[in-house]
Amino acid sequence: MEEMRQSIILSSVFIYLLICIAVGIWAMRRTKTANDFFVAGRGLGPVVVSLAVFSSTLSGFGFVGGPGLVYSTGLSSVWMVVCSSLGFAVGFTLISKRIRMIAEVRDTISLPDVVYARYGSNAVRLLTAVTIILGVLGYLATQILAMALVLQSILTPTEMFAGISLVACVTISSAVLIFYCVTGGIIASVYTDLVQGIVMIISGALVVITAAQVFEGGLGEASSILLAHGGEDIMPFGTLGVMASLSWFFLFGLGLAGQPHIATKMMMNRKLSDNRIILPMTVIGYVVAAMLWISVGMVMRALVIGDIAMPLGAPDQAAPAFLTNHAHPLLAGIVFAGLFAAIMSTADSFLNIGAAAIIHDIPKAIRGRALNNELFWARTATVVLAVFAAFFALYSYYENGELVALLGAFGWGTFAAALVPVVVIGLNWKGATAKAAVAAISSSLIINFAIQTLQIKIPYAISAGFISMLVSMILFIALSLLEKPKMLPKDIDHLMDL
Amino acid sequence: MIAGITGFIVLGDPPIGAAGSPHATIPGMSVGGDGAARLVAIGRAPFYFQLCVILLAASLLYMGVAKHRRDRRFFLLVAAATSFAVFVWYKTYSGYEVYLATGQTDVVFGFPVPTNWMLWGVWASFLVFDAIYVVAFRTYYLPHEDEAAFEALVAELKAETDAAANAPPASPPKAPLHAPLHTKPGDA
Repeated sequence: MEEMRQSIILSSVFIYLLICIAVGIWAMRRTKTANDFFVAGRGLGPVVVSLAVFSSTLSGFGFVGGPGLVYSTGLSSVWMVVCSSLGFAVGFTLISKRIRMIAEVRDTISLPDVVYARYGSNAVRLLTAVTIILGVLGYLATQILAMALVLQSILTPTEMFAGISLVACVTISSAVLIFYCVTGGIIASVYTDLVQGIVMIISGALVVITAAQVFEGGLGEASSILLAHGGEDIMPFGTLGVMASLSWFFLFGLGLAGQPHIATKMMMNRKLSDNRIILPMTVIGYVVAAMLWISVGMVMRALVIGDIAMPLGAPDQAAPAFLTNHAHPLLAGIVFAGLFAAIMSTADSFLNIGAAAIIHDIPKAIRGRALNNELFWARTATVVLAVFAAFFALYSYYENGELVALLGAFGWGTFAAALVPVVVIGLNWKGATAKAAVAAISSSLIINFAIQTLQIKIPYAISAGFISMLVSMILFIALSLLEKPKMLPKDIDHLMDL
Repeated sequence: MIAGITGFIVLGDPPIGAAGSPHATIPGMSVGGDGAARLVAIGRAPFYFQLCVILLAASLLYMGVAKHRRDRRFFLLVAAATSFAVFVWYKTYSGYEVYLATGQTDVVFGFPVPTNWMLWGVWASFLVFDAIYVVAFRTYYLPHEDEAAFEALVAELKAETDAAANAPPASPPKAPLHAPLHTKPGDA
């Protein structure tokens, strides 16, 4: 079995990619309008929505970057995982019902549409769409690059593809992503998310069992090794310390509901009452899949610190090195497919909301109406966005590594900082105003951009995203209180009472 | 409060290695060093910071139920869940402080005791809010009458749209439901 390791991994990834293509072809027949393309006609069942929500939340970062962070800094980053029960509670309690209701009453297909319905301001709609595009570009480029690097690491050990270039890997992985996103839109995206979510849950569960068997004394022995060599890494706050960990808890816990790719999925379920089933399924699915994050990173750190394994070239090699050296070939195959699943499930969500921002939200904000033949333009925008992000990823990899990092700053932190006040608080407080929303979004963009470009180091490694989210929340509430609220449209006012 | 504590921490003078330092021999890995020394400048500020975050989170979750549906029972449910989250946080932080003072901790279920409180406790403490959502869904979050009211609103809007589509061109337009009307701003 061991000599077939590479063939098994390759076959697993190949089968997974074929499934994605098949789902794309199937979903194409169900995609007849822009509404189908962007929000699946609001007709999805609870299982599909819950797996789509959790698999989009846990991106390639969770499967590659997460174990790398634990290897590098101990348990500091685990606060991003343990806050998930709070994050989903905030999301479902505060916005899922209202977003779904507004989607039906106003026939909205994107988060900027919902924001416009709430505030009646094209400036807020435009700023939300611009924030989404900035975030999407950074996120998408990093996901495509990660996908290509993983594919290259799988193909290079084989005889046939030994010298395969990164450009070829970007082309192959982007082509599959583009194919199913263009043909089937969000329907293909959520149904591939269904497959991806299942693969991620299986991967997470099996990897924990494997990780626990690496040491004879299980994870307890790994903990003992780490405690004997300093110990801060295996204590609750890791090597980065208390404030870094707690700022991540705040940003990821309260910020989850502000992520547009997650919020958008909350307007796709068939029935409002399905939320009662979707929430627990999402929370459980997420935490099982995220076990990989904690267990792999911890075991690899203990192996290296305990002089049992050689140090890794880079922290992000923690998961691939674990799979290569400690996982059964079949498990390695499933997890590598899971890795692709994690990356693609997030990338397809971003392609979808990015395309909506370009062809739907910005035209509506500027000229008051959407483009004619939205479905055609949606597909075109999806291709253009993906190709641009692929070029951007390659350019940043070979020419200017800071570019993606810069736009990466417009990822989770900026979405959380810009959209939590506007969406999470705004949909639950009638006193919130459009001017406050403009100020909150603008301040979050400026603060994140300034911290990134000026390379400001915040003491105790406190997250920049947390600082900007805190400032934007305070600004939003303070400015809203200072201003006399405008009257709300009757339908929105009525919905906010429910 | 959160902003105040953050300001106090950020504006202070952090000790060397406050956010860890690179491992002496292993590239790409950091070490925590002396955990107690890292907290000297800020004392128990992180403990109070997280207390405020828990209270903020609980307030937001309380706000997620329509004002007229927040009865005494719901308040008590949220208060109990919040108390549990505060208790778990206390056990996590105080356990860590004991470890910093003594250098000793037990390993249970594969992790040191304070880490167990963080891994399972913190996650489970907010899972209680998820459980409240599921169990009390039809009482507080989407009562049948709210669902019926929403369906009535959708039907009303649809009828209005149909009427507008079928109306002769000369007839005066009826005010749509989404036109601004007088409401009570400020109500949560």
